[in-house]
Amino acid sequence: MRQVWIVLRREYLERVKTKGFILSTIAIPVLMLGMIGLSAFLGIQAERSERELALVDYTGRIGDEVARRVQSYGYSMELVDRVVALDELDRRVLEDELEGYLVIDDLTLSEGVFAYRGKDSPSALRRALFESAVVETALELHLSTMESAGTVRALIEGGQLDYESVVESTGGEGAEVARIRGIATGFAGAFLLYLTMILYGQYVLRSVLDEKRNRVVEVVISSVTPWRLMLGKVLGVGSMGLTQVGIWAGSGAVLALFGIPFIAAQFPSTELGGFLQYLPGAGDIALLAVYFLLGYFLFAALFAAVGAMCSTEEDAQQAQFPLVMLLVVPFIMQMTTIEGGGFAWMDWVALFPYFSPVMMFPRAVAGAVPWWMVALSLVFMALALVGTAWVAGRIYRVGILMQGKRPTLRELVRWVRTA
Amino acid sequence: MTELAVRLSGVTKSFGSHTAVSDFDLDIPRGAIVGLLGPNGSGKTTMIRMIMAILLPDRGTVDLFGGFPDFARRSRVGYLPEERGVYEKMKVLEQLVFLGELRGLTRQMARSRAGHWLERLGLAEWSGKKVQELSKGMQQKVQFIGTVLHDPDMLILDEPFSGLDPINQDVLEAIVREERERGKTILFSTHLMEQAERLCERVCLISRSRKVLDGDLKKLKRRERSGAVAVEFEGDDRWLMRLGIRDIERVDDAHHLSAVDQAQYDAILAAAMEAGVALRRFEVLEPSLREIFVRHAGEQAEEPPMAAMGGGR
Repeated sequence: MRQVWIVLRREYLERVKTKGFILSTIAIPVLMLGMIGLSAFLGIQAERSERELALVDYTGRIGDEVARRVQSYGYSMELVDRVVALDELDRRVLEDELEGYLVIDDLTLSEGVFAYRGKDSPSALRRALFESAVVETALELHLSTMESAGTVRALIEGGQLDYESVVESTGGEGAEVARIRGIATGFAGAFLLYLTMILYGQYVLRSVLDEKRNRVVEVVISSVTPWRLMLGKVLGVGSMGLTQVGIWAGSGAVLALFGIPFIAAQFPSTELGGFLQYLPGAGDIALLAVYFLLGYFLFAALFAAVGAMCSTEEDAQQAQFPLVMLLVVPFIMQMTTIEGGGFAWMDWVALFPYFSPVMMFPRAVAGAVPWWMVALSLVFMALALVGTAWVAGRIYRVGILMQGKRPTLRELVRWVRTA
Repeated sequence: MTELAVRLSGVTKSFGSHTAVSDFDLDIPRGAIVGLLGPNGSGKTTMIRMIMAILLPDRGTVDLFGGFPDFARRSRVGYLPEERGVYEKMKVLEQLVFLGELRGLTRQMARSRAGHWLERLGLAEWSGKKVQELSKGMQQKVQFIGTVLHDPDMLILDEPFSGLDPINQDVLEAIVREERERGKTILFSTHLMEQAERLCERVCLISRSRKVLDGDLKKLKRRERSGAVAVEFEGDDRWLMRLGIRDIERVDDAHHLSAVDQAQYDAILAAAMEAGVALRRFEVLEPSLREIFVRHAGEQAEEPPMAAMGGGR
């Protein structure tokens, strides 16, 4: 045990002290926040620059109301006098003064047909906004002459589907919040698990490979058994990983607890304050930790075995391909079903131990699968870990002292048998 | 059996079609200092790696301290591999403390011993530097410290002196001798014949994956005497010519007489007295290890790899 601890401590300290660790600890969240911020910023910029719109109303009856409605959606719409030539508006569009303009005439009132002129075709969202603004205004005009106007109006406005989620304990709004929270937590958690398992798995591989390449392992192995060396190494890298994730989670929590209320206080009108209720609870985080630990060890053992069977960097790049696939495939499957539902058979695929972290965790927090499936996946993972560690330990034991060509699958089987 | 530190019997190891070690027998008594000699590629490293159970023999058995070189037995050995295995990114002292602790020393003990050795090998001021910042020679010394730090019963050193300057070779040689005085068994490989001659009690000569000779160096030399005598004197050398010895060669100030047997020693000395020359040296010449090696390994051993064997001082 003491030797495992000595190896662990070296591995941990040597990693935590490197610039790479400090950089990746800071850079990854900054990069992720930066990407979100940048895309939001660009989106806002794009919307802003496209907001100048105009409207020509040849009927002279609904222009004011249509403009008001479009403005209520946040666009600026200028009602142009109908004596102005369309050529003049076209010129303004070409000179980028206007994004585009709507043309309403008698046909609009009778058939709901109207025109939009602009350089680019309007987005689906904008098209829908324009249509509803124009058609509703035209309807209003007709309704004002009818007796049953009130009923028709109520019917039109009442065209809305109320969704009521069927959940056992809590109902109503709370359940909806819980659902969204589950999906968000599941998505973020799956991504974090995927990222950390690939990242830390490769650290383990690199560590094993380096020791093998510079032959340190031949010296060390005369003092410590291969199994203890591998265990110490995997635990050391794992501790570093926990430290890193801990720093991320800690700073994230601080940001959430102090940052969000602060921002919410600055912009009282926005719904940012309500965002807090979508953050994951302690139970979700505990489950994430369990999947992280089991998943990490499962893959770390495999990456250690791959590192042990290779002698060069190029070798390792090729040999780790199947392992990376083992992580990428469930991640892609998960991305196609963000809500955790999708095809029912995927719930069963998520029971495959190597897929479980990325696929079962999001299902678990979203409540998409019964609790016994979650429990079963954890049992499977634990069993798989025992088997994987056994096989990987044997491959490691033989592999670290082998130099030269990477073993074939048949040789690997022999290693496992004879070790 | 128990007085043997290492016993190889009938050990054979091949890599593909290349036989690295062929039907090898070797006994190393405890407390002996043994040199494993041979040109590059003759199988020295393969043999050492089999003793450390890094490689397993295809045939034959390797015994270390009377049994299979398992973990417990290997941990009694300090092993210096030919490729310098060090954690390049670790600091010198931290690395040594790590190795020491791994081998059962307490942190404090490892630290103080490492400090002592670093001082002795003139590396004290480098103890806080990363290993990769050191020169190759210094790295080698660091690794040597790692080998002896836990005070093992036996040292197995693969080419411990290669790449070191003469001063450091001397320092290391002195330490190896000292460890030998303290009762340790020492096995080291080298292609430097002169060094082995200085350091070893026993030698094992290898050529082309086979053992050529092994045994006590002094006895070996006595056995290999070819009956050559060196005579050095002041004065006329005609008396020498009158002795009737056919093969006389002038080497510097001395004359080397070949094919002389012990019975003729007295006659030679008497002739010198008679001629009235001032005799300065009369020596029965022993063959150098290198001559013995060439004699036994044959001409093929003088092929290119042997060129490296002349690289002594």
